[in-house]
Amino acid sequence: MNICMLTWEYPPRIVGGIARHCEGLAKALAKMGYIVHVITLDFPGAPQYEEVGGVKIHRTSVELGHPSFIAWVFIFNHFMEKKIAMISKDVKFDIIHIHDWLVALAGIATKHYLKLPLILTLHSTEFGRASGLSNPDSYLIDGVEWWATYESKRVIVTSNSMKKEVEEHFHLPHSKIDVIPNAIDTSRYEVKVDREAVKKRYGIAPDERIVLFVGRLAPQKGVEYLIKATPKIVNSHPNARIVIVGDGWLKDYLWNLTISSGYSHRISFLGFLSDSELIELTLSSDVLVIPSVYEPFGIVALEGMAAGIPVVASNVGGLAEIIEHDKTGVLVYAGDPNSIAWGVNRVLSDPKYAFWLVENAKRKVREVYSWDAVARKTAEVYEKSSGGA
Amino acid sequence: MYRRSSTPISDEIYFLCMLHNLGITAPEKSLTIEEISRWTAVEPSKAKENLNKLLKARYVDVRIVSGVKRYFITADGIRKVLSMYS
Repeated sequence: MNICMLTWEYPPRIVGGIARHCEGLAKALAKMGYIVHVITLDFPGAPQYEEVGGVKIHRTSVELGHPSFIAWVFIFNHFMEKKIAMISKDVKFDIIHIHDWLVALAGIATKHYLKLPLILTLHSTEFGRASGLSNPDSYLIDGVEWWATYESKRVIVTSNSMKKEVEEHFHLPHSKIDVIPNAIDTSRYEVKVDREAVKKRYGIAPDERIVLFVGRLAPQKGVEYLIKATPKIVNSHPNARIVIVGDGWLKDYLWNLTISSGYSHRISFLGFLSDSELIELTLSSDVLVIPSVYEPFGIVALEGMAAGIPVVASNVGGLAEIIEHDKTGVLVYAGDPNSIAWGVNRVLSDPKYAFWLVENAKRKVREVYSWDAVARKTAEVYEKSSGGA
Repeated sequence: MYRRSSTPISDEIYFLCMLHNLGITAPEKSLTIEEISRWTAVEPSKAKENLNKLLKARYVDVRIVSGVKRYFITADGIRKVLSMYS
């Protein structure tokens, strides 16, 4: 079976979790014998075409531009369509699989001219990301998302909470939605690191305990609540250092919040890190905090669990499904600095408790969240959807 | 680029997003200040001010063709822009 997978991000072009999701899924499907063509956007230094891990990666150059983000998205979808049309002269695709609204227009057009079934994985919704719809762009994105769910034969979401959200918001039939979780390659975390050397690289003293945040600096990630929790964490653990990895449009606001908190000496912003740097830092950390206020899945939780560090996460969305409170991590109230500080202090104060959480979490990640399991479930969706649009 | 809330992003980062959406993402796609100013509808003096900040942050690089400076976004600049979209 030939799969045509569309995504606006695929390594080395990494925006958020979609790139890693598509890479893990595509490679696992290829391992099962599926022929996977990934159609994505170009990135400096990456070839227009290459095969990696058995996956055929086609990168699209966008030959026109416009200052508006929305216009740019519509333009790159046109060039993706053109790329697919050219590839389909030689390849007979059986399924089109799109990831999120950004590639929906190309996917829907391709569905109609190649008369193929369309599968949509909806990683999040505009309604959730933006905490409601408040401007014309958001309304348009929401409309494209609804349209994509309507045009698709099956809709895949990564958690039960996301299924509920999609059912309610888009009035989608319950039976049209499949829940298939995200996954992680745990072997990437089976490396030895020199924790002192890693800490030194980022100006962190050997005796400091790293309270790590990883993610986009956007409101939905709730970083501001971790910054507000810092005084209570540092009062209990004076050697705690909050380390924030990631970038985003909220950065200036968060930096100003850090300055005004009076605890800027205990908070570090490291910006974007490469995969290998991030793995080393995660393995050198003492606790991972995920203070999100909206999180359809929360793949970063799996990364912390695989790395063997205790996870303290908000009790929202997919996080509440991944983490069993007091067994594989600690769940805290979203948007509540006191609750976050309580969770962090709890694992930092009790090494035996932290060890118990970590051992349980590692076991769960290995058993439930493997790419092979996710690919098998996705393949089932392909098989029951194949045979015409 | 669309903005999620009233929290402002800096002018130069907003400008960087516009450059990205215009497709100036490789040396061979580079544009002069005049061309950038025309496409973005930003005055040349303001465009130059933003470009200088972006050059300093290494989000933008410059090449000189026939004595004329042409600007394009670096890989770090693209990553910065992508982190703005969610």
